[in-house]
This record gives sequence, structure tokens and C-alpha cells, in this order.
Amino acid sequence: MGLKIHTHINLHAYTPSYPTLPEASYIPAKPNVQLGALHQLYYDPNIENKNLAQKWLMQAQISAQAWQFCWALLRPDKVPEIQYFGASALHTKISRYWGDIPAEQYGTLKTQLFSQIALFASGSKIVLTRLCVALASLALNMMPEAWPGAVGEMVRAFQEEGGAADGRARCLALLELLTVLPEEFQTSRLPQYRKGQVRGALGREWAAVCPLLQQLLRQPESPAPVKARALKCLSSWVLLDVPLSESEGLLEAGFAALADPELFDTAVEAIVNAISQPDSQRYVSTLLKLVPQVLQLQEQLREAVQNGDMETSHGICRIAVSLGENHSRSLLEQVEHWQSFLALVNMIMFCTGIPGHYPVNETTSSLTLTFWYTLQDDIMSFEAEKQTVYLQVYRPVYFQLVDVLLHKAQFPTDEEYASWTSDEKEQFRIYRVDISDTLMYVYEMLGAELLSNLYDKLGRLLTNAEQPTSWQHTEALLYGFQSIAETIDVNYSDVIPGLIGLIPRININNVQLADTVMFTIGALAEWLADHPVMLSSVLPLVLQALGNPDLSVSSVSTLKKICRECKYDLPPYATNIVAVSQEVLIKQIHKTSQCMWLMQALGFLLSALPVEDILRNLHSLITPYIQQLEKLADETPNPSNKLAIIHILGLLSNLFTTLDITKQEEESGDSAPPIKSTPPQTGPNPVVVVLQQVFALIQTVLSKWLNDSQVVEAVCAIFEKSVKTLLHDFAPMVSQLSEMLGQMYSTIPQASALDLTRQMMHIFASETDHFPPIKALFELVTSVTLTIFQQGPRDHPDIVDSFMQLQAQALKRKPDLFLSENLDVKAVFHCGVLSLKFPEAPTVKSTCLFFTELLPHCADVPPVGQVVQDDGKLLLLAVLEAIGGQSSRSLMDQFAEVLFCMNKHCFGLLTVWLKEALQSPGFPSSRVSNEQKDTFSQQVLRERVNKRRVKDIVKEFTLVCRGLHGTEYAAEY
Amino acid sequence: MAYQLYRNTTLGNSLQESLDELIQTQQITPQLALQVLLQFDKAINTALANRVRNRVNFKGSLNTYRFCDNVWTFVLNDVEFREVTDLVKVDKMKIVACDGKNTGSNPAE
Repeated sequence: MGLKIHTHINLHAYTPSYPTLPEASYIPAKPNVQLGALHQLYYDPNIENKNLAQKWLMQAQISAQAWQFCWALLRPDKVPEIQYFGASALHTKISRYWGDIPAEQYGTLKTQLFSQIALFASGSKIVLTRLCVALASLALNMMPEAWPGAVGEMVRAFQEEGGAADGRARCLALLELLTVLPEEFQTSRLPQYRKGQVRGALGREWAAVCPLLQQLLRQPESPAPVKARALKCLSSWVLLDVPLSESEGLLEAGFAALADPELFDTAVEAIVNAISQPDSQRYVSTLLKLVPQVLQLQEQLREAVQNGDMETSHGICRIAVSLGENHSRSLLEQVEHWQSFLALVNMIMFCTGIPGHYPVNETTSSLTLTFWYTLQDDIMSFEAEKQTVYLQVYRPVYFQLVDVLLHKAQFPTDEEYASWTSDEKEQFRIYRVDISDTLMYVYEMLGAELLSNLYDKLGRLLTNAEQPTSWQHTEALLYGFQSIAETIDVNYSDVIPGLIGLIPRININNVQLADTVMFTIGALAEWLADHPVMLSSVLPLVLQALGNPDLSVSSVSTLKKICRECKYDLPPYATNIVAVSQEVLIKQIHKTSQCMWLMQALGFLLSALPVEDILRNLHSLITPYIQQLEKLADETPNPSNKLAIIHILGLLSNLFTTLDITKQEEESGDSAPPIKSTPPQTGPNPVVVVLQQVFALIQTVLSKWLNDSQVVEAVCAIFEKSVKTLLHDFAPMVSQLSEMLGQMYSTIPQASALDLTRQMMHIFASETDHFPPIKALFELVTSVTLTIFQQGPRDHPDIVDSFMQLQAQALKRKPDLFLSENLDVKAVFHCGVLSLKFPEAPTVKSTCLFFTELLPHCADVPPVGQVVQDDGKLLLLAVLEAIGGQSSRSLMDQFAEVLFCMNKHCFGLLTVWLKEALQSPGFPSSRVSNEQKDTFSQQVLRERVNKRRVKDIVKEFTLVCRGLHGTEYAAEY
Repeated sequence: MAYQLYRNTTLGNSLQESLDELIQTQQITPQLALQVLLQFDKAINTALANRVRNRVNFKGSLNTYRFCDNVWTFVLNDVEFREVTDLVKVDKMKIVACDGKNTGSNPAE
């Protein structure tokens, strides 16, 4: 039978004759059917046929017949795609269905594989690799008892003359086999106890591999591809933690191979892998021998840098860094070799400072940053006496590092920078952040001296009249300051006043520099709070920058930081700050979000002023906006005036977010929560005064924009922010606001109105004077929402979400609301059951929360008890359906909580319902058997105390229901 | 093997939800889903290590810390996050952190 005839027949007669899946027994042992399917998989243009073929082949691969057809597919007259499938099927069978093979057939299988590998040694590479993986898998399964000395046998088998392949091809095939062996071990699914055994056996086999590699690498006549493969093989074996001392000779050969450009990459990989093995730190004497070998690479490194050979410098740097990073502690401790380690450190310093700009001229320097952290950690972890000695040597090194890093952080010339792509600019930004983090950490070692060092440099730079300074240099030094001051308390450094004195001397002729100046001032905000006298020197700079749109982000955020930290020292400057801010707001210099930050800054600023001053400032600040809003309210709604309205409303909310006249008690107690104390005041809170003044206007705006959720949200945000800051001071507004919310919601329901109602419920639940309007509002919004449910709630998952949260809040803060005649508890309950089936996870979460708040009131709130008794089974059914696979798996904890609550608060009913519900066949999933359902309900009913346990039970059951139980995919990580 | 802790993020959860659905409707096998998930682990670990340099400062009081199986856990109280735009306060925060350098090796032994 010739192949052509087969293929021909299959191509035409094959498609309709697919054996039905998944019955594997239909899969024929003869290979012709597989051939057809493979042809379809590779060449059929129809994607459906492809998928069908793929599915069928996957099944065929694991079928019992695979043992027979795979050999036939490997025959030399087949194309590589088909041979590959045969080899791959073999590997699958051996690695996953090892148990199928009778022990007496191990030998035959082994011989067959050996001869196939010998055949393919000069054949297709992909098939060869697959066959090697299959033999590797066989070896791992048989080791050590069934196949002692496996590797030795492999080496011998391939060294024997004979077969079709020549010596070199056989050697390469052997190296391929030896390379995939440890890799296959890393990914194999051997049981834990076998893994240990096999690992040990493999470790012993190293004795057979090592001399072979040594011989191949040292022989000058070995061709480069053989050497490259040998190095790859070494890379693979060192990952098994073979003793570093035993691979000394091999590493030496690896270092020698670095001189050969063809072998460079593989050699780097092998050396780095060997050095980075966790176990390698035990072989200190070998590590010490490696240091001079690494140092010898300096010449090659310098040459590569000179020639702009980035690959070579990168590779050498990786080697130096891997030795330094992984073994700095061991090497530091070898006191008598301190000079050679210092030389290694200096070599890494050279790599850090490699000439050129990252990432355009070089990409090596960033590799070294972690090394500096590690070295510092190791030095700082020595006991005090030892540390002092090491610091004497390494403090100067770290000072040098600071210089190098600040040099690398410098921007290129304006011209060069302009030529960079946006991606390169972003990478450079990231690189600078990494440098900044390193500097911040280095500060831990160098302390305040680092700041004075930077200060001296900056001083010299700015006062040197002879040499013109480049803005890049100044910027980098300031960036260094900023990196440290941003996160570390610089209070005890005595150079900050000097630094602030220097800032006005800076010739700010560049945006980048100006940005950094601003950010540096911002980083010093906390320091300024302790040294308010210095405010007068920096504020003018910040206020001036505020007028420059290019400095928008840096200047506004700096002003905000200063206003937040120093508000009690700012009153003398308040008028000026408000005036400048007002001007830039009117001139529309900043984008929307910066305008919002600016309002927050002003909120902080005003908070510290006397009430009458606040009112006066507020008046002048917001009057223009109120007038504008009045005008906008008169216009017919259109997209552009909508944005303007939202902008103004946003400004007000942001102002009220930070305008808080209560004084936070200074951190007096250790852990006591901050207490708010209101200063003695005569009238109502200024925010309330303003809110009352603009209330009518807001109502007018609303009346026109009621069906626009964004405008409604913006209105609600003003009140929500104010309620959050004012807390009980908001009381005078409660009744007015409740009435407005009620009107709003009854006309067009929006989620934000419910959220605001919940907020007020939370704050005023226990205040009898102010609660009645909230109660009325609650009843009103509830009945309105119930109508939405009647009309079809699916379009409003956000409203349902907020509604459930509101109900949960009510149950928590004021359960007697559910006693009211005006509240249809039964309907609310049914809405909850419906909402559990929503696809939106947040809505379902809120609904589960509602039920966990509701169920505990079965006993003390009669209407709740009644509805649970009548309709609780519906709730249970919904919960079971969700667990059965209707709801997202990530929500199972929430459903488990509802189940747990039912068990705790209506145990008797749950027992009956659970039995009834689970009786119906195929419920909640066709994948669960009756026994599994029984076990589930018994387990659930037993756990009335341990909530965690119920969550586990539900998790397990849901996996069974979804057909995921026992799969690695769903295994807990 | 890459860290799997990012599976419990909005992105990871959504992916798992989709994979679950595909398995339940028998469009993919759990094995394939696992491969997708492992790929996700790899991609998100690399992306977070290499593409993100946003910084947020925060301070709070350290309640508990531990270092177990190469995972750091910190529990903090009264934490203040300071970002340019906002100051956010939380009562309790738990930080779970793993060594970003280790993602190349396989810690599950």
C-alpha cells in the first residue's frame, strides 16, 4: 500500500467517516484515518473542519490505539508534520498514561525509541526533539530501579558507530536528548515521592554527563554547533542544582567560549544559570575562583562599549551582576579576598555608568540596580563592629554610585530628546524612577551626609560664574533631592534651608527643569510645615508657575501639597493664593482635573481661616461660577453647556471635599482615633451657608437635567462630599435635601440619589430630630424602585445595586424601618431574589449583603420573619442555582454567607427546603449525583458556627456542579 | 512558574469567569483553560514588573508582619494613601508581596 493512495482516499472519503467522539474505542489503530485528520488540521481552509480534526486528534492521541498508529506515522516516507504528530502522541502516552504499559514491554519501547532517534538524528529537527522528549519521559518513569544508569546507556548508545547518521549528527542528537532530560523532569507530573527519587538519580547521572561535556567543550576540533549544544546542555543540567564545584572545569570552558561570537550567547546563559543556582552559594571556593575569571572580561567589556556592541556588553554585565547579586554576602565574608570583590563591585559600577543615554544608546545599566540594593542589605545586616569596617570601604563606593546614577538620570540635549520616540521617552521616565528608588534606598546607608553632598554640588554648580551650567545637570541634582525628600523625613537635615535659598538662583529656562523644581518644593511640604518661616521664599515661585500651562500638573499638585500640610501657617498668604488661583481659573489655564485639584487646595487653605474670612473668600471665589451656572440653567440643554455645568458642579464638590473647619486633634494618643473638635462658632458651618444659598439654583439646574445621569451624579456628589466632611454639621440641610432627592427620584430614578440617601441614613440614623425626613425618603425611594422591578429591572443594574446597598444599610442602622406599614417587605424580598440572578457581579454582591443583613432579623422584625417563612424557599433555590453554575465562581463566598445565615437563623426551614430542592433531578446541575447532593446538604446543615468551613463546602460543590472538580485548572493556588 | 496572585484581580477574575463559561459549555477543555491562565500569570507578572512605574506613598501603623514561604505579609492599621489627586484613608490594609526577581524559577517544590 503506497502512501499516495492512502492519502488520496482519505482526503476525499474521510470527512463523513469521523468516528463519533468521545468514545475512544472507535479510533482505529490503523494510521490512515489519522493521516486524513492531520491533513485537515494543517491544510483545510475551513476552520470548522480544522477544529473538528483538532478535537478528534487530541482524543486519538490519548486513545489505546495510539500505541499502534504512532510508529506507522513516524515512517520515513511521511512528511514531518505527520511524523511530528506520531512522536508527540508517543510522548503523551508515555508521560500521561505510563500505567498502561506492562513492565515487560519497557525494554522494547526503549529500543524502539533509541532506533527512531538514531534515524531522525539526520532528519527533521522538530521530530527529533519530540522523540528525545519521549525517551526522556520514559527514562524519568523508569529511573532508578527499572533503568539504572540510564544516562550512561544513552551516552554509550550514541557513541557506537553504525546507523545512517554520521558521528556529528549522532553527537548532536545525544546532546539534544541530554538537554531535554532535565527540562522534562522540571515539567513532569511525577508524584511527589517519585520526584525526590528521580531527582537524586539524575543528580548521580551528572557524573556521566559532565566528562562528556568537558571533552566536547575542550576539544579544539569540536565544531561550533556541537559546542553550542554542549553549553545548552550545561545550562539545562545546572538547573538541577548539580554541585557548582563539579562544573568548575565546564564553567572555565564556558568563559573561554565567550571569546567566540558564535558561542557568546549560549555561554552567557550557561554561566549565569550556574552562578544563580540557589545551591551554588555553598561552594565558596569555586565562587572565589570565578571572580578573577569575571574580572578578566573587563577588557572585552571595554572594547564592546567602545565599539557600541550592546549585545556583548549586556552579556558580560549579566555575568558580573549575577555573581555579585547572588553571592555578595558569601564574597563579602571572605575578608582576605576583599580586594578582588571590590574589583568586581567596581566592574559593576562601570556597567552602571556605561556611557550613553538609556534606553537609546545602552540598555545595560538598568541591570545593575538590584545589585546595589543587595550589597547594601548585606553590609547593613552585619553586626555593628563588622559593619563599621565594611562601611569604611563601601561608603565611598556608594557616594560614587550616587554621582554615577545622577549622571545617568540626566536628560539628553533638547535636540536629542526631541528625536526620541514616545516609547523611548517613557522607558527613560521608568529608568529615572528606578534610579530615584535606588537613591531613596541608598539614603538609608549614607544618611544626611548624602543630602549635604548633593547640596554642596548644587551650590557649586549654581554659584560658579565661570562655567555655564547645563540645565540637565541642575535638574538631575534636584531630582536626587526630590527622590529622597519625597518619602523620607528630612527634618533633621540642616541643608534644606540652604537648598530652598538656592532655588531662586536657578535659571529656569526649561520645562523639565521647572517641573523638577516644583516637585522638589512639593516634596518638602512636610518640612515646610515644621519650618513655616521658609514658606515666603517658595510660595511666590509656586504661584508664578501656576500661570504656566506647561507646568500645570507640577505646580497645582505642589500648591495642593503645601496647602494640605501647612494650612495653619498659610492665612497670611491666603488672599494672595486665592487671588492667583481665581485668576488662573478664569483664564482657563488648566485642564479640568487640575482645576479640581486646585479647588481642593483652596478648600484646605480656607479651612484654617476664621469663619467670616471663609465666607468672604468663598463668596468671591464662587460668585462668578454661580452667575455662570445661573446663565447655563436658563439655556436649553445641549452637550456643550452640559459639560460646563458638570465642570462647575465638580469645582464645588472638590472645594467642599477639603473645606473642613473642624480641627483634627494632633496625634496625641498612640492609637486613639482622631477626634474632631469644632471650634466655638456662632453661626452655621460656612459650607452649609453656601449650600443653602445655591440650593434653589441647583434645583433649577436639576429640573432641566433630571434625566441626565451625569448631571444628577455631579449634583449628588456636591452633597455627598459635604456630608462626608461636615458629618452632623450637615443637619440643617437634611430636610431640604431629602425632599429634593425624593422629587428627583420619583421623576427619574438614578443610582446616585440612592447612594446619597444611604449616606444620610448612615450618619443620621440615631438622630431622632433629623431622621423623619430620611425615613419618608427611604419609603418613597423603596416604593419607586419596586415599580422599576415591576417594569423590568434588567436595564438598571446600577440602581438595583445601590438599592440593595441602601436596604442593607437600613437593616443595619435602623431595622425598625421594616416594621413600617408603608414598606412592602415581601416585595423587597422578592426583588432581592430576582437580583441574585443578575449577571453583574457587584449587584449580586450587594444583594447577598442585603440578605445577610435581613436574615438575622427573622425573630425580632415580624414582617421579615413572615416573608422568610413564606418565601424563603425561593431564596434558597436562587442561591442553589447560582452555586450550580449560574453565577460567577468568584461570588461563591457571598452565596455561602447567605446559606450560612439561613442555617443560623432559620435552621428548621432550611432542612426541609434543602431536601425538597435537591430532590429534583438535574438540579442545580446535571453533573452532580444524588449522593453528592446528599453529602452537600448534610455538610451545610452541620456547620452552624464555622463560616469558613461553609465557604469551603460551597466552593467544592460548585466545582463539581461545573465539571471543574479535580482539574488542575480549578485547583486552589 | 509565574506568581498566581494576580488571578484575584478584576482582570484575572473576568478571565476565569469567561474560561469557566467556555468549559461549562464544553467549548474548551480544563487543560486548555489552565494553559490560558498560566499564560495570563506570565503576562501580568511581566507587565507589572516592566511597564508600571507609578508610585503611591502611604503611611500607617504596622500591626503584624510575617515572611513565610517567600511571601511577605503585612497588616497595617489607619493607613493614609497620598496620591497627587487624593488622600485616601483606610482602617485596615493587608499587603501580600513576593519577590519580583523570583518569577523565573519554580518555587513549588
